[in-house]
Amino acid sequence: MPGSAPEVILRAENLGFKRGERWIFRKLNLELRAGQFLALVGPSGVGKSTLLSCLCGFRQPAEGSVRIQLPGETETAPEHLRRHLGIVFQDLQLTANADLLTNVLCGRLARFSWLRTLFGFPQHQRAEAYALLCELGVGRNPHKWISQMSGGEQQRVAIARALFQNPRLYFADEPVSSLDSYYAGRVLGLFRQETGQPKKAAICVLHNAEHIQRFADLALSLNPNDPAAYKIRQVRPAEPLT
Amino acid sequence: MAPPPESNKEVKRVPEVPERPWFERLNLLSTTLLIFLLLVIFSGFRIEGSDRDLNIWKNLGNFLRDFFPPDLSVVPQTLAALVETVEIALLATFFAILFSLIIGLCAAQTVAPNWLVVTTRMLLNLIRTIPSLIWAVIAVAAMGANAVAGVAALTLYSIGYLGKFFSEAFESVDLNVARSLRGIGADAVQGFQFGIWPHAKPIIWSHSIWMLEYNIRSASIIGYVGAGGLGLQLHAYQEFHHWDRFATVLICILIVVTLLDLLSERIRRRISRRN
Repeated sequence: MPGSAPEVILRAENLGFKRGERWIFRKLNLELRAGQFLALVGPSGVGKSTLLSCLCGFRQPAEGSVRIQLPGETETAPEHLRRHLGIVFQDLQLTANADLLTNVLCGRLARFSWLRTLFGFPQHQRAEAYALLCELGVGRNPHKWISQMSGGEQQRVAIARALFQNPRLYFADEPVSSLDSYYAGRVLGLFRQETGQPKKAAICVLHNAEHIQRFADLALSLNPNDPAAYKIRQVRPAEPLT
Repeated sequence: MAPPPESNKEVKRVPEVPERPWFERLNLLSTTLLIFLLLVIFSGFRIEGSDRDLNIWKNLGNFLRDFFPPDLSVVPQTLAALVETVEIALLATFFAILFSLIIGLCAAQTVAPNWLVVTTRMLLNLIRTIPSLIWAVIAVAAMGANAVAGVAALTLYSIGYLGKFFSEAFESVDLNVARSLRGIGADAVQGFQFGIWPHAKPIIWSHSIWMLEYNIRSASIIGYVGAGGLGLQLHAYQEFHHWDRFATVLICILIVVTLLDLLSERIRRRISRRN
């Protein structure tokens, strides 16, 4: 229906997380619609990564809930929709003793049975993964081990793994922290492009104001002094679906 | 500028370092060292006082005279037995690696439930307490005097070590990568294959090469009790006091073990460097 608002695909209600006796955030309500790119912003240590891990189901909140509604699926908690969630971890979580190509291929593990992947991935999957590595400028040594690559190269491999997974929802924790401005723009551009695909959305922890302005639709900022005083602002006007 | 006169300097008294009381010096390290030294002295006197005729220098002289020159006419038989020894070691190491991968997983605290870890570790401890020669005696008694008994004996013996080493290798792996892969939809086997195994593999391979090296040495001894390989030949030459032939066998073992030592060290170093 042209002009109608896209459907909500992630909904957080009354979300709160406590570390020891201290609330990091609480009473947080959020609705993320298909096609939206949400930036989590705020000073270091405010709890952006914690919020992101609660939203993707890696951490259990102390209160409230996160529900994800994907087309063709019933509304459920994120931990039940793992294969649809692409995650770029802050510490990357790549297999250091495996090569670049294998790490990217790991993005699609959920699509195959263990018996199929026991002796490697299908050839066309390998070709696709390699093309993605080339696109991100790390295709020169696809058979080098991750531990032999620089921090920036490793980060691009982690991003390639998430993109290769082709998920509905992207969760990226500072995905461009080790990248130069060229690749930072390129990676965020790819995430932006992905959210333009039907029924997709992205949540990224970002620090750079220019990146937020250029790529995000919404920015959620946490307040270090008041856990309940978060703010969600519209960075760019919502575009109606065409 | 001239330094200020001494009289203007504030003179500080340096406090004396307090003496440590004698009982504080007796920590665990010094106590065990002291006990060890006392036992060494005690054992030395016991050995001296055992009334045995230990004419070491004369015996050593005779021994060396009998050994040299080595009788090289037995080289062909020795090489054939050497091949059998290496075959025993290769097969035993291979089977031990296979079993130890499963047993190592069962003994790894980060992978298996506690009851299984405790049971498996007890079993591994039990296996390790029995020396390879005793395993060979048991295997020969059960399977007869042949090389297959040697393979069985060394397999069991190696499982005791490799099972322990492999479990430690699995435990040393950071499980977060496997958890992250599970987090994007991988199943348990895939999480292990892509998140744990690549990290444990270099350590496991390094231990396996070390075990092969060790097994070649062991395989040349277990023949003493009839479990095939060079030991059988060594035993025969010793029985008939053919020390010159005995020396030839020893030289062959020395060459093979040294070459393998060098090779395995190089491989292991390269594996760990890439790691």
